[in-house]
Amino acid sequence: MRSAEMTAAPAETRQISLSFLRPSRSTVVGLVAVLLFLILWQIAPSMGWVNGRFTSRPTEVFFAALDIFRNDSFLYHARISLTEFVAGFALAIVVSIPLGVLLGTSKIARYLIDPPLMALYIAPTLVLLPILVIWLGIDMAPKIAVVFLGAVFPIVLNTMAGMSEADSRLLRMARSFGASRFDIFTRVLVPGSLPALLTGIRLAVGRAVLGVVVGELFVSQAGIGYQLNLYGQAMRIDRLLVYALIVSAFGYTLTIMVRSVENKIRDWRSK
Amino acid sequence: MAQIEIRDLGIDYRKPKSNEVFSAVDGVALSIERGEFVTIVGSSGCGKSTLLMAVAGLVNLSRGSIRIDSKEVIGPGPDRAVVFQEASLLPWRSVRGNVKFGLEMQRWNGGDLNERAMQMIRLVGLGRFSDYHPHQLSGGMRQRVNIARALAVDPEVLLMDEPFGALDAQTREIMGTELLRIWERDKKTALFVTHDIDEAIFLADKIVVMGRNPGHIKEVIKVDLPRPRDEAVLDSEDFNNLRRRLRAHLAEDMSSMQLVQEVA
Repeated sequence: MRSAEMTAAPAETRQISLSFLRPSRSTVVGLVAVLLFLILWQIAPSMGWVNGRFTSRPTEVFFAALDIFRNDSFLYHARISLTEFVAGFALAIVVSIPLGVLLGTSKIARYLIDPPLMALYIAPTLVLLPILVIWLGIDMAPKIAVVFLGAVFPIVLNTMAGMSEADSRLLRMARSFGASRFDIFTRVLVPGSLPALLTGIRLAVGRAVLGVVVGELFVSQAGIGYQLNLYGQAMRIDRLLVYALIVSAFGYTLTIMVRSVENKIRDWRSK
Repeated sequence: MAQIEIRDLGIDYRKPKSNEVFSAVDGVALSIERGEFVTIVGSSGCGKSTLLMAVAGLVNLSRGSIRIDSKEVIGPGPDRAVVFQEASLLPWRSVRGNVKFGLEMQRWNGGDLNERAMQMIRLVGLGRFSDYHPHQLSGGMRQRVNIARALAVDPEVLLMDEPFGALDAQTREIMGTELLRIWERDKKTALFVTHDIDEAIFLADKIVVMGRNPGHIKEVIKVDLPRPRDEAVLDSEDFNNLRRRLRAHLAEDMSSMQLVQEVA
């Protein structure tokens, strides 16, 4: 009965691989819209509709991008920001997963730490930035801390939810076959909460990227946020837009990557 | 002595909100012989599932005792396997992975796990689907996996909790016939809970009729219909007589319930 679906799969992939040759109507409309926007943006300052000083032009942004990648010590600043991001995020994962597991499996731990955790999750951790700077200085440390604080809560809360909301019928089934607590943990709870964990990581990515940029904007000596500050004061709209694009592309790519893993697992086809 | 001896069984629950105690099952005594197919029938709320879960060792007893092969039941054991009402399959495991689950939990050492699992999958007629995942299967197919998983551990007693309750009438009939075919192979003791009268008669050597408030046994009926059985037996005179008898029991239960509702 499902064999039709199975045989349909290769045909589908063939279709995808050729699809760029015969673009669908929606891609055509989308491309045309983007193109129109770029043209409008390009000619608007020359026509006197807007002040080009504030809007820049697509061509200017393009050349600014070339400039930045060639001789703006871009790699240096990107490396600083990336280091802060990776360090803070790694720290968040290392702390949040065990904490989430503990909270998800122990009711007492949950009663104890859930309310303050919830409050911290909802409160914008960025308000702590001035304090973190006082404590940790103006180097990478406060940014790492902000990234950590931004990322840790969504992962903890989602891991906890994934563990504690495990299907009670599956737990009972496992017990009926004499599963030990350890068996139930490794064979039922962990695989069952993996999608929730990944959701947490995906939500954490956005907050972590925000943390890096805002942390550097607030006070720093290097990094993408530092560059943004610099060009903001110089009113270099073209360069600011290039950096905005870079940051968005970074967050977007990571989110898409996590989501694709998430979808794969949620599909329950893995293993 | 009988294989399963249930004596003076009582199971109380505490209602979560009011802290009130109520009895799901009380004063139940039942003997089941080795190799008997016993169905437990009754309207909802008569404690038939609770009784089954107690034999499975998944529910704490408040009074009385359950012995299997003269060993007191204090928890789940490898001598029993449960087929649940909802298939309760691990969604991230394939059909084969699910059938292997029980074997893994019981540290099965009777040979290759994959081979054993495949045998059972073929037995329930899912040979072609061993690599499918639960979400790709129909309700009836999932219950076949559920049954294969329980059979795989080769239990002395097979416990089934309304396994076909959520299936449509036709699939249900097919599954019943299939179950008998599988059971006929080695005739292990089987306990099967249902609220479907025809199903209760069709499968059983012995029907346990339960009533409610609190859950108790009203009658135990021997079924002498010849085996192996097929759908033809459903139209026989003996079958009709049994059906009438069971229906009277359940109707009695229903009317007493209505009375309670009217008074309340």
